[in-house]
Amino acid sequence: MSIARESLRIHGLSCRFGAVTAVDEIDLDVPAGQMLAVIGRSGAGKSTLLRMINRLQEPSTGSIAYGPTDVTALRGRALRDWRRDCAMIFQQFNLIGRADVLTNVLIGRLNHRPWLPSLLGLFTEAERAMAVQALDRFGLLDIALQRADTLSGGQQQRVALCRALLQEPRMLLADEPIASLDPHNARLVMDALRQINREDGLTILANLHHLDTARAYCDRVVALDRGRIVFDDIPDRLTPDVIMAIYNITEQEFHAADTPVAEPMRQIQ
Amino acid sequence: MIRAGSIGPAEITAARKRLPTAFAATSWVWSGIGGMAFLAWLILLAVWFDITPTRLAGGLKGLLVILAQMFPPSPGAQWADILHGLLQSVAMAFLGTVIAAIIALPLGFFGARNIVLNAAAHFSVRRFYDGFRGIDQLIWALAFVRAFGLGPLAGLMAIIAAEVFVLAKLLAEAVENTNKAPSEAITAAGGSRLLAIRFGVVPQILPIYLAQILYAFESNTRSATILGVVGAGGIGLQIAERIKVRYWDEVCFIIILILITVALIDRCSATIRSRCA
Ligand SMILES: Nc1ncnc2c1ncn2[C@@H]1O[C@H](COP(=O)(O)OP(=O)(O)O)[C@@H](O)[C@H]1O
Ligand SMILES: [Mg+2]
Repeated sequence: MSIARESLRIHGLSCRFGAVTAVDEIDLDVPAGQMLAVIGRSGAGKSTLLRMINRLQEPSTGSIAYGPTDVTALRGRALRDWRRDCAMIFQQFNLIGRADVLTNVLIGRLNHRPWLPSLLGLFTEAERAMAVQALDRFGLLDIALQRADTLSGGQQQRVALCRALLQEPRMLLADEPIASLDPHNARLVMDALRQINREDGLTILANLHHLDTARAYCDRVVALDRGRIVFDDIPDRLTPDVIMAIYNITEQEFHAADTPVAEPMRQIQ
Repeated sequence: MIRAGSIGPAEITAARKRLPTAFAATSWVWSGIGGMAFLAWLILLAVWFDITPTRLAGGLKGLLVILAQMFPPSPGAQWADILHGLLQSVAMAFLGTVIAAIIALPLGFFGARNIVLNAAAHFSVRRFYDGFRGIDQLIWALAFVRAFGLGPLAGLMAIIAAEVFVLAKLLAEAVENTNKAPSEAITAAGGSRLLAIRFGVVPQILPIYLAQILYAFESNTRSATILGVVGAGGIGLQIAERIKVRYWDEVCFIIILILITVALIDRCSATIRSRCA
């Protein structure tokens, strides 16, 4: 069984917080299966953009469409289903620290099942098998019964990825997924994201702070500055000269807020 | 790719082989036996206490009679006594809570595992608090009425004695749950252990402790209303006297006053807490 993947079409999308315009009249088409990096300095509006797609943040104006679905009009049940369809990965992982890894991964199933068994923490064998498959895929099976808050950051983010996969999403939204990780773990997580994008054909939108990560992993880079799109092209065209032209600073200065670089590891088989 | 639709018996068997513990089933048999035992215990208790439908119905009828006599509530003739008693209760609760909070401050730190590093010392201090926490305020009040004589002083002491160990335990837990990153930064900057506590721990626990004190004040106002019944001062004496002579309308009036007072305190403390959060 495969779920139809559609393209995401954003038109005239804005978000204002009082006097601040966090996202300003953005138009963006993301074809199904693309891995897109959203870059920009802190405060450029990257998080706000992702949160609006997931509807954690209400847009002020504009529209978001996924295939034939008008995302901005969704309410209640349909809205919750949409959130399940575009799984979110957070910078701080947002795992339940006191629960074990397996339970954290099974959380991804909650929207797929009746609420009463969920409330009682009862999961079916098929769901447990899914969780085992997901954990196995990213080499996390050995820690399946460990408490989430005992894991390293890199392990936690990969557990969060497994949780996202159990949602059976059509799209992944990752908000600075590696900003809290050391270079080695950042690489593991980015490799996992790339693997999911390639093998499962999931559309991925990732907010990234570091340009080299964007260049190394993504099909396309969109740069934001003060809420507007100032660059939208393949990574190869994102040269130091272009950075200078759009941000009026060097790449070193762009990275001033020091976040780790991730280089791709050799593809995990 | 991971798809629910692709999971069949073969996949489940394979996954079970990979990680059997993930499938550890909760035993329905044992849950059932546990449930039955619980039910049996409830029935046993009902028999022991002679809880029968007739007795319940009789009590309910008596209760309705009292309820009917409560309306309309009336302040009666001794307005001044009622107000005086109520103010005394609130004052006892306030003073008692404040003094208890001050005494509990060092005690709380001594009870925290990350302050008193010796495990045996920590364990015995905490069990000591737990032990005294088990003594109810009313027991303290009875003892203090014997020791200090009738009146609000005995009630005040009872509130302090009962509250100190509760606050100490709550504070100790708050201290243990603090994030150790800030104090680590202070240690790393060359600060002493005391400074690490002062700047790394205290700012984290202050709002929590304040919230606990405010809650204790509210809860003590409620429980201080009963202290008067055993002669330890406050509004309780007024209630007890009126119940003896069945002036239920006046009792009802006093209860309403108490409810309003507690609600006011709750409101104030919520405001303060939200400002300090
Ligand atoms: N909930 C909010 N309330 C007010 N202002 C906000 C809120 N969220 C974001 N902003 C503002 O919107 C702008 C963009 O923020 P954000 O999307 O978080 O940027 P980025 O993720 O690129 O760092 C910033 O100026 C920020 O202060
Ligand atoms: Mg952000």
